[in-house]
Amino acid sequence: MSRNIRTVATMLAVIAASLGTGLVQADSRAGTPAAQVRHPALTGAWDRYSTETLDPRVTAAAPVPPPPLKPAYEAAWLAQQKAAKEADARGQPLYGGYAQCLPDGMPAMMMAMFPMEVLQTPGQITIIEEAYNQVRRIYLNQKQLPIDDAEPGFWGHSVGHWEGDTLVVNTVGIKEEVRFRGAPHSPNMQIDERMRMLSKSIFEDQVTVTDPEYLTAPWNFTWKYVRKPGYKILEYVCEANREYQDPQTGGIRMRIGAPGTASSAPAPASAPASPKP
Amino acid sequence: MSNFLSRAARLAMTGLLLTGTSMSAQAHHSFAMFDHDHQIKISGTVTHFQWTNPHVYIDLDVPTDQGDLKHYTIECANPGILDRIGWKFNMIKVGDKITTIIAPLRTGEPGGLLKQVTLADGRKFENGGPAGKANIQ
Repeated sequence: MSRNIRTVATMLAVIAASLGTGLVQADSRAGTPAAQVRHPALTGAWDRYSTETLDPRVTAAAPVPPPPLKPAYEAAWLAQQKAAKEADARGQPLYGGYAQCLPDGMPAMMMAMFPMEVLQTPGQITIIEEAYNQVRRIYLNQKQLPIDDAEPGFWGHSVGHWEGDTLVVNTVGIKEEVRFRGAPHSPNMQIDERMRMLSKSIFEDQVTVTDPEYLTAPWNFTWKYVRKPGYKILEYVCEANREYQDPQTGGIRMRIGAPGTASSAPAPASAPASPKP
Repeated sequence: MSNFLSRAARLAMTGLLLTGTSMSAQAHHSFAMFDHDHQIKISGTVTHFQWTNPHVYIDLDVPTDQGDLKHYTIECANPGILDRIGWKFNMIKVGDKITTIIAPLRTGEPGGLLKQVTLADGRKFENGGPAGKANIQ
């Protein structure tokens, strides 16, 4: 009898190993509930998988398409894109979020500008993006808040559940000022995500932004991530940025000189550099 | 043959994947303030080294032909990008004599975006993928 159990256990172990999908192994020490045992192991550090195809079996994520804005909003959006291009061409890039030390918010933080860390704990999945110390919490198996009760923020209120090997997440409550790719949205915008492993070391996040007030159709794009074994997420405090907004052009300028030194005041282009002792 | 090549390529790719080669991060904003086509090389003495987000800065006193000093501020990537390409928070110190290649500010002010730095001990470092490479020596 015990020999049969051992045989079955060995067979199951071999099958599990051959699946090779990076599933969480049963771990009695951690007291993992049986229902969670086969969920993908997302805990750990990740890099975005977009600029190079490191694993020939998994294509890199496609570029994010433009937002399918309704004509009334699209014109303004296109004008804004054009203005940004022209400002760059003049050498006076527009002053905006990052230079103001503002974080991405959702969904932009999931582009993983810098490495990100995923933590799976009972009832919650936490995602930490190194850039701007961004943190989002996905509460598992909870009902989403009515929009009216979701306090608007950068990352909103996220709930999720597992559908087989896929983590399904819904997010509401994104501030209207928090715009991905400059796309305007209503307070009713919903962000739906489906996260699943594509291989032992790569997972994807299929994102769908729904906002019938602003979009003609859902805005779909996918980001992919590759494991970054052993990587320790760095702290990121946006401090002492020497970029500032030029009051005349509205563009970004860079302060010359360390703060608190004689040459730290922004000087007009024609002014000579401060003499040094 | 092509089969062999593709297998070799795949092995190489897997090798890269296993060593955890870092993927280059995209620029977090435009670098249009800087003139990347007319890079200059400047050497001087470090007066300040600021290891902060969103940018690291090097302040440099550069001797001029007239015998005085011109003060430059050089913008670098952020600590994370630099850490991942081998920089260390304390590898540049006040008083160090360094040489830099920069894309100067288009305004004509004495500043620029770092392309390459050569430390006093001869070690050279770039400024990470988004900032781009030096096009002069």
